[in-house]
Amino acid sequence: MYRKQVRRRRAVLALLIVGSFALLTITYGQGSNSVQRGVTAVFAPVSSVLDRALKPARDLVNWVDETFDARGKNAKLEEELEVARKEAVGAQAALAENKELRELVELDESGAIPTGYEPVTGNVIALSPTVWFSDLMIDVGSADGVQLHDPVIDGQGLVGEVTAMTGGTAKVKLISDHSSAVGVKVVPSGIQGIITPTIGEPNRFVLQFLNSDKHVHKGESVVTSGWHTEEIEARFPPNIPVGEVTHASINEQEAQGRSIVRPYADLRNLDTLQVLTGGSRR
Amino acid sequence: MILTPKIVARLVVVGLLGVLLQLTFFSQVELFHVSPDILPALVVTFGLLGGSMTGAVSGFAIGFLLDCLLIQPLGGASLVLIAVGYAAGMFRERFEIHSRLVAPLLCAILTFAAELGFGAVEAMFGIHTDVSVLVLRDMLVQSVFAFFLGWAIYVGVRRLVRPALVDEATVRRTRRPTVLGA
Repeated sequence: MYRKQVRRRRAVLALLIVGSFALLTITYGQGSNSVQRGVTAVFAPVSSVLDRALKPARDLVNWVDETFDARGKNAKLEEELEVARKEAVGAQAALAENKELRELVELDESGAIPTGYEPVTGNVIALSPTVWFSDLMIDVGSADGVQLHDPVIDGQGLVGEVTAMTGGTAKVKLISDHSSAVGVKVVPSGIQGIITPTIGEPNRFVLQFLNSDKHVHKGESVVTSGWHTEEIEARFPPNIPVGEVTHASINEQEAQGRSIVRPYADLRNLDTLQVLTGGSRR
Repeated sequence: MILTPKIVARLVVVGLLGVLLQLTFFSQVELFHVSPDILPALVVTFGLLGGSMTGAVSGFAIGFLLDCLLIQPLGGASLVLIAVGYAAGMFRERFEIHSRLVAPLLCAILTFAAELGFGAVEAMFGIHTDVSVLVLRDMLVQSVFAFFLGWAIYVGVRRLVRPALVDEATVRRTRRPTVLGA
């Protein structure tokens, strides 16, 4: 009797493992399949409601985190903390949302959004839980005009690209994802390169130069270059702000042809985003 | 645990709620720059209360739902969470759980293992970028969160499925001894 139970248990375990591997093999590299679209269609409204309902609680926890983070820093940071405190507490969540939307409009008016693109605004409704993935879900999808590889920005700059979608949701692969690589140029010097993230440090990107004898300097801005290769799937239009050079030692540039970039967008604290739909990049 | 339809329904509701809360709340909050991951702790709890089969099946189901909702390749999260649930269940079947610290400790250890597992699944398909050692710090902090959250989850789920637990000590009312002739 006991042996029979053990055999059955092992058989179920083997079935589950084989099933998982089979699913992984079949679905790897696909955008989305009918099962995922069905499940997402059912749960996306629930996620959206939960997301809005839990926003004050999230803001409170994030405020505690920011408070810890800001301790011991100088007066300038304390000033920012005051602002964050005002934004975070319960009923002022709406105020923060307005600010993000205003920033998006400012980015739009500054000319950072290339002509021919129609921005579609969406809210983050789900985020991947592990330290390895950098994916999130937003509450706009193909029904809103979102297409595969559409660039995604926030009020500060480039955030990522759409890699899968359903009717009402889209999956955004952040530029901090381990499989992400973005063709960029440094302004004003015009040096071309590719930035890749560092897993575990979302604010540290490596800028690898492409055949340049010039040097970059700390504080210089990095924007999308607009080109892509077989290795770089992402097809971002040119001149979207990406980040600024934070570490640019001459030795490292000459020996390894690289420097360090910090993204403008706070990739750990995203809430309202814009998908740039349309355009003529394809 | 005796799996009646009622108990299975309760477990399904807890699993669904766990995944939705993870995606809409826990993944979007940060303490010490790290977001808590409650799903391995939830699967460990199912494994500890229901045994290796319940652990493995719940791990598969929760992983499948997670992959569906995040539009990720199906099976990756399932594979890791099956192992976590099965390991927790085997622990329960092989050892007596005497201390209250066992469940949270197991949640912490298996959350760390799950994070390594997620990394291994990603590595299987190739990681082409730098990996900072800080990723280890993040995983350790997640394990600490899992210790405390796992404790709460274990107590909550245990209470919810109490009628089905075979090892639950029955509360006996002390009865006065019968005195003959009184």
